[in-house]
Amino acid sequence: MSDFGPGRLSAAAYFGCVALLTALGLGVAAWAHPAFLHSSLQTMGLEAVPHAAPGSFYVTRIAPLFDARCLGCHDDTRAKGQLRLDSFAAAMRGGRDGPVIEPGNPKGSELFRRISLPSSDDRAMPPSGKTPLTADEVTVIKLWIASGASGELRTIKGAPRPVVEVKIPESDLAAVQKQRAPLAAALKQLQARYPGVIIYESRNSADLEVDASLRGAAFGDGDLAALLPLAARIVRADLSGTTITDAAAPTLVAMTSLTRLRLAHTKITDKTLVALVGLKSLKSVSVVETKVSDDALAPLRQHGVATYGGGNE
Amino acid sequence: MSDPRKEHVLVWDIPTRIFHWTIVVLVAVSWFSADNGYLRMHLWSGLTLLALLLFRVLWGLLGSTTSRFTDFLHPPRKVMAYLRGHEKSLYAGHNPAGGWMVAVMIGVLLAQAVTGLFSNDGLHFTGPLALWVSDDVSTRITGLHGTIFNIIVVFIWLHVVAVGFYLLVKNHNLVGAMVTGKKHPHLVPAGLNLSFTRLYIALLLLALTAGIVAWVFFQGVP
Repeated sequence: MSDFGPGRLSAAAYFGCVALLTALGLGVAAWAHPAFLHSSLQTMGLEAVPHAAPGSFYVTRIAPLFDARCLGCHDDTRAKGQLRLDSFAAAMRGGRDGPVIEPGNPKGSELFRRISLPSSDDRAMPPSGKTPLTADEVTVIKLWIASGASGELRTIKGAPRPVVEVKIPESDLAAVQKQRAPLAAALKQLQARYPGVIIYESRNSADLEVDASLRGAAFGDGDLAALLPLAARIVRADLSGTTITDAAAPTLVAMTSLTRLRLAHTKITDKTLVALVGLKSLKSVSVVETKVSDDALAPLRQHGVATYGGGNE
Repeated sequence: MSDPRKEHVLVWDIPTRIFHWTIVVLVAVSWFSADNGYLRMHLWSGLTLLALLLFRVLWGLLGSTTSRFTDFLHPPRKVMAYLRGHEKSLYAGHNPAGGWMVAVMIGVLLAQAVTGLFSNDGLHFTGPLALWVSDDVSTRITGLHGTIFNIIVVFIWLHVVAVGFYLLVKNHNLVGAMVTGKKHPHLVPAGLNLSFTRLYIALLLLALTAGIVAWVFFQGVP
């Protein structure tokens, strides 16, 4: 064969052949990988991109499942098997071997087949080591496909109710102990002096609760003043029926974390109530059977504090 | 009657030719193994590719005349002139356009091999250095690994189209030359004086790059 001189094809003929072969190659790729074809057409705007409607069954029930269980491998960065499940359009396009969802036919849908396989099967999805779908989740996907794999349908009869996961924050007991430490000595002393009057709000808290109502007339201004070292930690105080007077106002004002205060059946007057306006955490005050006027409660109400009793009761 | 093959001029050394065809095989193996989930195979083909690419970079500095970057990387103006047909010089090795194609291909393949080191498949397989970076970074690099693959496919297409153009339109059999190492004397400059680096130097360089890759690999072994 000659290694130089004129070639067998003109440049135009050659590039015509290249264009033809490239188009043929892309056609074969599109035939072998329909998802690639649809993705290309949708990207070029030659094919409508299917969308799921807000509030649809897909959006509320299916997408969260795909998100939690499948996107680790089937999102835009990994797309194992060229399958993406990060959008309705991508899920409906399918993967390398074609669509994985056949609307109306769960058993004919590769996606359903894979999630239904026993975990011992190599083809099972999610693969071993990943959190498997629950029986209810598999049922939800099955019913969705059986109902036509719609992006519009809002409810599907018989679909198991969604499981709402409630997360209770773990308590940090070490942190609570650390917060309680500075109060411990004073609290111990006061608890010995006033049994049952002052306790922690809960086992996970360093905040305090005061209930002097059971001591009644035996609990007066001097006793309340004794709580002053712990005042900033007191969040609830029930002083109903005690003999406290307006002289208790400075101690009450020192309770800067106070949220609920009960002063029913006491001798406090408007003077004390006016002083309470500065307590930013206060949510409710009870002044049932006191001489407190409605005018004195008005500023508290303006700050969003619920009031009970007073001049208008 | 004399044997026409004797008239041909040796332009490509053995290491460059072996490198070229091994790369062809390894890219195919990497493609196949990634597509079919044979990730151990993918790992080893990738590591071998990396060692060979590093070797090729060193060979581009220390190898035979036609393998050196200084021989085939020409200024852009010369490349444009060549592509427009204004540059009629003969080149023993890569022509100005082909030279840059080789350099870019080496760069893209290197980027692919390096990103592969940090990639993961989201299941049980991670590249040797994937644990050096956060899961998020590894996932992003994995995405990049996939994108670079698409770029490689485009370059392979371009490479094949160019080689076909030379074969069918210009009647230059570049494939044959990359197999035998020889070109027809009418296709090389007159008075050509090529130097060929000794084979043992190629073997030493290959041992060095294989050692580097092995060292990198073992960095990722807990």
